[in-house]
Formats: sequence, structure tokens, C-alpha cells
Amino acid sequence: MTEDTKDLDTLARDVRIHVFREAAATGQVPQAPDISRALGRSEADVRAALHELAAAKALILAPNDGNIWSANPFCAVPSGFRVAAAGKQYWGICIWDALGIAAAVGSDAIITAPCGDCGVGMTLEVRDGHLVRTEGVVHFAVRAHHWWDNIGFT
Amino acid sequence: MLLFRDEEHVDRWCAARDLARGATITPDQAWRLAEGWYKNKLRPDWRRHTLEETETLLSSIGLTSAFWNLRG
Repeated sequence: MTEDTKDLDTLARDVRIHVFREAAATGQVPQAPDISRALGRSEADVRAALHELAAAKALILAPNDGNIWSANPFCAVPSGFRVAAAGKQYWGICIWDALGIAAAVGSDAIITAPCGDCGVGMTLEVRDGHLVRTEGVVHFAVRAHHWWDNIGFT
Repeated sequence: MLLFRDEEHVDRWCAARDLARGATITPDQAWRLAEGWYKNKLRPDWRRHTLEETETLLSSIGLTSAFWNLRG
């Protein structure tokens, strides 16, 4: 392992810890310029670290601009999968991630999501580590072996 | 992974997109899947689950059919 590789691995770890802590603490996923300022590293270095994290499937980058789309379970942009937890508002990219936010922050949570077919809103509630309010069914369109072939569709 | 009101809505959604039906699980199964998958995500020493760990998680909540096979 070269010094450059070790440095990138160390930075990727620092970036990962920062991104997920910020997302959990604020409900906002920081992007490369924010991370660059917070860690005192160049934006180019931070973007290289983000690509390494995406390759390791720690987070997902948007295909067009390379910004973080989801530091999963925390979606960087508003979505239909809303989570109210610990006094904050979060979004997931799917119902699995919306539930995952409650698990990641370790908090009671109210999750609202539309029916994928008709759009009618539904509510799930996590309290004391249990799903205490539930409705509907969760559909996986893609077989498990192919989840990461196209994670956006999955 | 989308939430639907019931199985009929899943069928309608798939038919409208000419998609083969996938698999449905209960919200409680989805919660246990999400909890097992994400509960450590904020830890500094987080690492991705191994294939074997993911298989154990899936089977622990009853997801054992071919649809959930991670090995192809």
C-alpha cells in the first residue's frame, strides 16, 4: 500500500464519519464543499474519498454531478419517504432506508410514505425499538442478488 | 423498495410498468431488516456486512426463498 493510498483510506474514513454524524445530527447530508471546509482538506481530495466510499457501497453518488445522493439511509434530497425522529426531519430513498434512519439514530420515529401505486399516504411508527404502528406491504421489485446492479431502481 | 396499501396495489403497479412481480414482506419484516442493516451505520468502526452476515440477517426474518439468494 502506497502512502497516497493510505492517505486516501484515512481521509475516506474521516469523511464517512463526518458525513454520517452530520446527517444524523442535522437531517442534512453535507456535500463536498461543506466536508472540505469541515475537515480542512481540498475539495478534490474529498471528492476522491467520496468516490472510494461509493465504490465500497458506504454511500451513493448522484450520476450527474457526483454529489452525495444518499448517505444511506439518509437521503440528501427530499423524497416521499419522510422520517420524523429525535426532533428532526429526515428523508430516505425508499421505505427500507426510512426505517433504517430510525435504526441508525436509535430513536422513536414516525415514518410517512405514499402508496407506490395510488399515492395515498401511510404511516409507520417505531417506538422503543419496535414497529408499533404498521400498514401496507413492502415490495421488492429486484431480486437480492441484483440489488446493486442499479441501486436507483432497486 | 416501495410501500403499498396491499397486494392488489402491488399487482397494479407492476402491471402498469410491465414488470414481473417481485417479493412482498410485512412492514415488521422490513423494520427488522432495516434495523439489522443500519443500526451500526453511525459507528466509526462501521463496515459493510459480509455476504454471510447478510444471509444470516435475511434468514433470521424468514427471507429464505430464491428471491433472497445473494449468490445468484
